[in-house]
Amino acid sequence: MIAWSGRKKALMILAFVGPTLLGILLFNIYPITYNIFISFTNRNQYHPNPDCSNFLTNIIEPTCWPMFEESSGVSTPYTFQSPLFANYIDLMGKLFTQSGLLALFKIAISFVPLIAAGRLNKRYDRQLTRPLSATAVWILGLAASILLAWLLNANGAFATLQADSDFFIVVFRTFLFVLITVPINYIFGLALALVLNTDHIKGRTFFRTVMIIPWAASTMFIIMSLVWQFFFRDVGVINQLLRVVGINGPTWLLNPTIAFGVILLVNLWFSFPFCFNVILGALQSIPVDQYEAAEMDGATYWQQLRNITLPLIRPAVVPAIVLSAIGAGGFQMFGTVWAITAGGPSRGAGAPGATELVMVYAYKQVFQFNAYAKAGAFAVIIFIFLFIMTLYSLRITRITRGAYE
Amino acid sequence: MNRRPKTIVLVLHYIFLVIMTLFSLYPIWFVILASGRVGQRLYTLDLLGMFLPTSFDFNNFQIMLSGTPHPFLSWMRNSAFVAGFTTIACLLIATSAAFAFSRFRFYGRQAGLVLLLAIQAFPGVLSLVPVAQLLTAFGLYANLWGLVLAYVVGSLVFTTWLLKGYFDTIPIEIEEAAMIDGAGPIQSFLLIGLPMAKPALAVTALLAFMGGWGEFVFASVLIPAPNVKRTLMVGMYSIANNQSVPWGLFAAGAVMTIIPVMVVYIYFQRYLIGGLTLGGVKG
Repeated sequence: MIAWSGRKKALMILAFVGPTLLGILLFNIYPITYNIFISFTNRNQYHPNPDCSNFLTNIIEPTCWPMFEESSGVSTPYTFQSPLFANYIDLMGKLFTQSGLLALFKIAISFVPLIAAGRLNKRYDRQLTRPLSATAVWILGLAASILLAWLLNANGAFATLQADSDFFIVVFRTFLFVLITVPINYIFGLALALVLNTDHIKGRTFFRTVMIIPWAASTMFIIMSLVWQFFFRDVGVINQLLRVVGINGPTWLLNPTIAFGVILLVNLWFSFPFCFNVILGALQSIPVDQYEAAEMDGATYWQQLRNITLPLIRPAVVPAIVLSAIGAGGFQMFGTVWAITAGGPSRGAGAPGATELVMVYAYKQVFQFNAYAKAGAFAVIIFIFLFIMTLYSLRITRITRGAYE
Repeated sequence: MNRRPKTIVLVLHYIFLVIMTLFSLYPIWFVILASGRVGQRLYTLDLLGMFLPTSFDFNNFQIMLSGTPHPFLSWMRNSAFVAGFTTIACLLIATSAAFAFSRFRFYGRQAGLVLLLAIQAFPGVLSLVPVAQLLTAFGLYANLWGLVLAYVVGSLVFTTWLLKGYFDTIPIEIEEAAMIDGAGPIQSFLLIGLPMAKPALAVTALLAFMGGWGEFVFASVLIPAPNVKRTLMVGMYSIANNQSVPWGLFAAGAVMTIIPVMVVYIYFQRYLIGGLTLGGVKG
C-alpha cells in the first residue's frame, strides 16, 4: 500500500507508532531496567536512599535528577551488594545446596511415571489397536507416581524445601493455584456452554445474560472480593446459615487448606463467565453437518464431544486460556487474594502465609517490609519466567490458528 | 446434538443451570439486600431476610450521596475523570499504532508486536515503585493525571493488539482505491480506517474505561491522600478496611458502583464477545 519511501515513510510511521513507543519506554522498559539495577543493590528499609555520586545510580534514580524537588535525606545510601548476586542467593535460600537439590530431584523423579503415561498414550493413539485403554494407562502412571513418591519420601523432601526457601514455596503454591483454577474454570465454562448451546433448554437468553453478571462485577474485583470475604468470615453469612441448621462452622479463612479453597471458589466466580462466553462463541461457529454426519455413523454423544466439538473449539479456546493462565486471572493473581486473605493465614513470623501467591508476596516485600532490592531480584526471576511463557504461548497460538480454513 | 435427550438428562441440565444461576447472582443480590437494610450489619439474624427483601429503605444511599462521612460523589467523579481520559488517550494512541502495525510494512513490525506483548509480562505490582518515583520526578505523584498516564500505558498493549486484529479484517482495497484518488496515509486512516473500525473502537473504549474504573493497586499507591482525591475502588476499600465497618454504607456504595456497569455489560453483550474473539483469536 505504501507508495512513498525513505525518510518521509520513516517519519510517518514514527508519528503513528511514536506515542505508544514512548509510553512503553517510560512505563514498561524503565521499570524493568530499574528493577534489574536495584536487584544488585542492598536497598531496604535501612538504606532507602540513593548515592547520587555513583554514575549509574545518578542516571537511573529519579530522585537524583535535577527536576526532583525533595532532598533525598541523610541516612546511609544503598550500595551494590558485595557478591553482586547476593539478593538472588538470599532469595533462593538453600535451594541450590546439596540437600535442596536432592529434595528437588526427589520431587521431580516422582512425576516421571505420569509423564511416561502421557507419552505412552500418545504413542498408542497412533496405533490401530491399543493394548490398554487411555484411562488404565493414566491410572497406572498415577499409581506408580504415588508409589515412587512414597518410596523416596517426597513428602519429607517437600518439607525441607518449604523450610529452606520462601521462593520455592511461593512459586510452588502459585503453580498449584494455576493448575487447579484453570481446569476448573474451563470445565465449568465448557459444561455451561454445552448445555446452553442445545435447542431444548427454555430461557437460554435469560441464562446467558445471567452469566454475564459476574463478568461485569469482575472489573470491580476489589468490592466483590470484600463481599465474598464477608460470606466466609467467622460470623459471616455461611456460618450464620450453618448455625441455623445446628452446625458450628469452621473459621474458614484461618484454616490454610480451606482458605486456599475459598480463593479458588471466588476466582471461579470471577472467571467462569469469560470462559463460558469464549467457548459458547466457538461452539456456535461449528457447522451442524459435522454432527449430522457423525450421527449417521452412529457416534454417541461422548464420541461426538471428544472427536468433533473439543478439537474444533481448540483454536479459539487455547489462546484465551493460556493468556488468562499467565495473566491476572492465574499466575499474576493479586487483587482477589489481597482483599480476601491478604496472603494469610500466616504460618509464623516472616514465613509466607498459606495463600501468599507470587504477586502478593512481592507486594508485601515492597510495601510492608520495604525490601526493595529483594523484591527486585524476585521480580527479575518472575519476569524471565513470564517472558518465556508468553513467547511460548504465542507459538502455541500460532500453531493452532487456521484449523477452520 | 439435535436429538432430544432423555428426560433425566434434561432435568440434570436444569438443576445445573439453576445452581450456576444462584452462584452467579447471589453475591450481587446479597449486596442489594444489605444496602437497603436498617443498621450497619451486613447480615441479619432473620433467615428470610438473607434471601428476600423483608424491609428496604434508601437511608444508606442518602448518607452515601450526602458526602459525609465519605466523599462518595468525589470518588465517583475522580474515577470517572481517570477512566474517561484513559479511554480517550488510549483510543487516540492505540488506534494509530494499531493502524500502522496492520497497514504499513516496516522493519521490526512482527518482532515489535511480539515484544510489546512479552514486555507486558512484567508484573505490574513490581513496577509500582519506579513508576511512582518517575511520576514524582515529573510532579505528577498524588495527581489524577499521573494515574491516567499509568493506566493509558497499562492498557495500551492489549488495545493495540485488539484493534490491530480488527484492522486486519478490513479489506485493504478500499484504502487502495482512496490512494489512487490521491489520499495520503493520514487521510486513509482518518477517513476510512477509523469509521470502519467503529465496532472494535466501541469494545476497546468499554474495556479501557472499565479497566480505569475498577483498577485498585495503582490507584491506592499513586494517590495515597487526601481522601477527597481517591478513586472509587480505593475509597470503597478504605471503608471496608476499618475495625468497625459500616456495612450498610459499603453495600449502598457497592450497588451504586456495580449496577450501572452491569447494565452496560448486558447491553453490549453481543459486541463484547464478537470484539474479544476477533482480536484475540486472529491476533
